[in-house]
Parts: sequence; C-alpha cells; structure tokens
Amino acid sequence: MSESSEHASPHKFDRRTLLTAGIAGAAALAGGPALYHWANPRGQVFVARNQRYDGSLVQTIQDGILATGMQPKALFGKRVLLKPNLVEPQRDRPQMTTHPAMIVAAAEVFRRWGASVSVGEAPGHVRDTEVALIESGVGEALLDGGVDFADLNYQQSAWRPNRGRRSKLRGFWLPESVAEADLVVSMPKMKTHHWVGVTCSMKNFYGVLPGIKYGWPKNVLHHNGIPETVADINASVPKSMAIVDGIECMEGDGPILGTAKQMGLVLIGPRLASVDATAARIMGLDPQKITYLQLATRNMGPLDDSMIDQRGENWQELVSPFQVLDKPHLQRLRIDRVGPEVS
Amino acid sequence: MNSIAAKLEKLVPGGYMPGSAPMTEPTAWGALALHTAGRQQAAAQAAAWLCDAQHYNGMVPATADGDAPGWTTSLATLAWREINAELYSEQLDRGIHWLLESKGKPNPQSEHVGHDTTLVGWSWAANTHSWLEPTAFATMALVAAGENQHPRTREAVRLMVDRLLPGGGANYGNTRILDQTLLPHLQPSSIVMWALAAQGSDDPRVERTLEYIEHELHRPTGCASMAYAIIALTAWNRRPADADKRILDAYNRLGTQDNCYKLSLLLLASNEQPLFAAQSLAARATSAGIA
Repeated sequence: MSESSEHASPHKFDRRTLLTAGIAGAAALAGGPALYHWANPRGQVFVARNQRYDGSLVQTIQDGILATGMQPKALFGKRVLLKPNLVEPQRDRPQMTTHPAMIVAAAEVFRRWGASVSVGEAPGHVRDTEVALIESGVGEALLDGGVDFADLNYQQSAWRPNRGRRSKLRGFWLPESVAEADLVVSMPKMKTHHWVGVTCSMKNFYGVLPGIKYGWPKNVLHHNGIPETVADINASVPKSMAIVDGIECMEGDGPILGTAKQMGLVLIGPRLASVDATAARIMGLDPQKITYLQLATRNMGPLDDSMIDQRGENWQELVSPFQVLDKPHLQRLRIDRVGPEVS
Repeated sequence: MNSIAAKLEKLVPGGYMPGSAPMTEPTAWGALALHTAGRQQAAAQAAAWLCDAQHYNGMVPATADGDAPGWTTSLATLAWREINAELYSEQLDRGIHWLLESKGKPNPQSEHVGHDTTLVGWSWAANTHSWLEPTAFATMALVAAGENQHPRTREAVRLMVDRLLPGGGANYGNTRILDQTLLPHLQPSSIVMWALAAQGSDDPRVERTLEYIEHELHRPTGCASMAYAIIALTAWNRRPADADKRILDAYNRLGTQDNCYKLSLLLLASNEQPLFAAQSLAARATSAGIA
C-alpha cells in the first residue's frame, strides 16, 4: 500500500470550507442538532485514501472531523463515546472488526480537544466480552492507550422512546454510557452484509443495545425488522457521527465470514446515512436500494449524492465494487448503470 | 481457593462488573459458588436476594430493574435447589412453572438456515427464537428438578445436539447461514456440553465439541469462557490436569477487580467434582446402571 494521504494526496478543503463547516458543527453540538439538521438538508462526508493502520491516522481523523463541520471548542469537557464494531472477533479474521489503531487514533483526537473519551461496545454474538477484546486486539490497545472500556452488554440501562417509529418497538434500553454521552461516534468496519447488503455506521449501532435486554444475538431487533430497527436505533441515540474504518474491508459473506478487501479509506461525517450512502457507492451498491437507508429519517442525512458535500477525495475515483453473495436479495442492490459515477 | 471465596463473600449479591448493581446471573452463580465453598451464610444471603427478585409468576428477571427477560430464572432455581430445596420450595415451584410456560419462538424451516428452526427450546427474550445458552440453562434446571423425561427437556436436548457445528463446537446457536458454516465459540460450546453431560449422545459432534473445548483452553481466552470450559470438562470426567493453575492465573489477572461474576465462575470451576450431581456424566452412568 502506498504512503498515507497526508503526503500522497492532500485533503481537498480550504479555509472557507472549514469556517462554514465549523459554524455548522458548533451549532449542532450546542444543543439543537435535530433542528439544525432539519433546517439543513445537506450532508457532509469526508473521504481519505491511501490510509494505513500504521500511518498518520490521528491527523487524518482530525482533518476529516474539521472538514465535515465539528468545532473543537464545542467538544471541550464533553463525554465522547467511541463505538467500534466487535461483533464476533476472531484473531485470524481482522477484516471483521474495527482495527485498534483506528480507535486509539480517534480517542487521541477527541482527547486533544478536551473531551472525556471512552470506548463502548455490546458485542452482538459473543457473551464473554473479554473474549471479544482479546480476539480483536482492542483490549490491549486500550490498555496501552489508557482509554476506558464500557461493556455495554451488561451496563445499567435507561429507557428511551423510539424516535424513529419505523418498527413497532416503543423504545429502547440504552446503556448509561450511551444515554449519558454528548456524542456517540460510530466506528464501523466497512463491510458487506448477507441480509441487508451493507453494514457501516448505521448498522453498527445495533451494538449499542445491551445483550442483557436484547440477547445474543439481539433477536428482539431481528424479529421487529432489521431495516426498521436500524433506522429506529439511529433516530433514538444521542447526537452521533461516524468515523469509518475502510482500510481493510470485508466483501462477500459479511459481516462475519467474508474475505478481506484492501481499500485504504477512512470516511468521516456528522450524518450517518450520508456517510453510509457514500460508502455504499464506493462498494458499487446503490444506497437508494438499501432498505434501512431508505428508512433513515431526514435528520440522519440525505442519500442523494447531489445533496452531499464531499470533502477530501472524490468517491467516484475510489469505486471498487465489493463482491456480494450470489443471492437475488443482494445482487439487486448493485448500482444499475456504469457511467460517470462508476469509474 | 479460599482467597477467592473470602473475596466473593463480600461481593454477593453482585453484578457483572466491579461496583455495578446486583443482577441475577452473577448473584445466582455467586450463591452456588459460596455454597460449594461452605460459606453458607453468604450463600443464603444471595439466595434471599434472588427470592426478592422473583416475580409473582415465577420469573427471576436478568436485571435488577425488574424488566424482562427471564432466562436467568433457570439459574436462580439451580441455586435455590442446591442451597436448600426445602426452604425455597415455593420459589422453586414457581420458577419451574415459569420455565415450562416459557418457550422459544420456532420458525418455519428455511433453506437459508442450517439448524432445525422448529424445535422450541428457550430464548433470551420473550417472543424470540431459541438459542443455546438459555436452552442449556433451562435444561439443567429441569433435570435438577427431576424433569429429565419431560417432553420440553427431551426436545431441548435434541435442539442442543442439532445446533452443534459439524466440526465440533457451537456458537450462540446458528450452524449454517446462506450455505456457510459459522464459527464456534468457547463459552456457548462449554455451557452446552455442561448441560449435555447428564444426557450423553452418540452424535460424533459431541466428542468433537469436547475436543474443541480442550484445544481452545490452550489459547488466550476470557475468564468466564475458561471457567465454563473447565466446569464442562469436569462434568464429562475430563477435567484438565492444570485446571487449578489456570484458575489461579485468571484470578491473579483480575488483580484488584472486585468482579462478582468472574470470581463466582472461577470458584465454581475450582470444584474438582462435577457441580450438580444430576448434571454429570457420572450421574448418567449411575442411572444407566453402568457405574
């Protein structure tokens, strides 16, 4: 893989972009994110290429956050919860889970800005969370980095109403680390998913719900519809943003058994549906056909590319179609036409 | 192991993490562990907490807020029966009644799913599909209650064997999805084999699962997974020779963490004899007249 983008491909944003984005971010975090997003229909997504786990991820993440609208001052003294994807870690399948280097780098960025940072996860298939931390390497990395870990599967929970209302669930039990966070950062791995096509920042929020209430797997959600509950959870968690590990990705039979696909990307954005829509396009899949993205509320960001302000790299130059299983419900998700959008 | 017991004595009723509020599973394992260690007063205190947590319908919910799910009812009944079945007879009756009323949600058989989705078993939460750990715990509770021949128990045994992976081991309870065989995990594999020790099976996946557990014990793993593995192998008369060393190493790794859940499991795993008389291979051999 080539050197990191700080050297090979400078991020493409200027002072005016940063200023505009900074004002927007300050307004969003200051207390009216839902109102702000409702009034502002556009999304912002930053994409960095040529990224490596041993590269300058701190700089990349910092640049991306600034470029998409967050102002460091707004984070001072805030509680930031990083939510990686540790669904079912296996040490010989690192493409399944968020890389520890991404998590530690993100923690460093938010700490520099004065935030109180912790990492939290409720692994969906592994009841022994300690195993998930060992197999993924995240436990050791957090220990080295002095970052606290919150086991969301077993924390005390608070009831919050379902603000999405796409499913029949009236509300959700949210672990205290989630319910009390000022900002929850979805840090998924960019992967295919054998039921819903793509799993990225929105689907990753299945892992904020506690297994002690929802089970292993979180079958309560499955029985109420995966797309519907993905949209509902995203509508119901506190303010969120996404930092996507798109460096070593997974294609084929994701989210567990797929094969590794090297992409070298980091995607960042304040509105998760727009981030996932961009990720899907890069994967050669049509976000408009992915049901949970269709169900995402307006606050989560637009899917239409013309409504998304792209920062950093142009996603069109990064498209590399991901293999999906040869099943009708997945093949139909492919982008129909190959034209200017898909190089 | 006295130091584990002494530490645990101060932590029950307790939670999954240091300083967290008491919950049913850690408290039930804590009660059992202290009972086996001869610390009856602390065991009784934990058992009383479980009584207070029990709903009128018999369910003992997993969380202290009283909201479902109730898969932990099995664990409470195991604790009460071992500590003093006579004293807790009313709670036991209601608990077993709730378990027999509680059912996993069967699904129509699908070409995309490898296991037999029509078997009922027990689920983590109401109105959802059955999975391995709650089914294993409920089976153990029913066997301990003398209900080994109950149709629900027999079906649960079929379910657990059906959910074992072809090469041995089990995950949370899926075997094959969209033509791909899934990955095994140590904790559910061990809990299922603990429950099956009293049942036995000629299915070759059972032996493969025991071998998988023995193999996995040589890799770094979590405290709970390791404890369940040792408990399961002990129930099958295959206790690892270095079990005590592994337990002490895990205890030392916990350091100053006052973790009720993990300490309870470590103390249970320190028992060199199978934990419940009715749950062991020896019990099966005795009942078959071949001891």
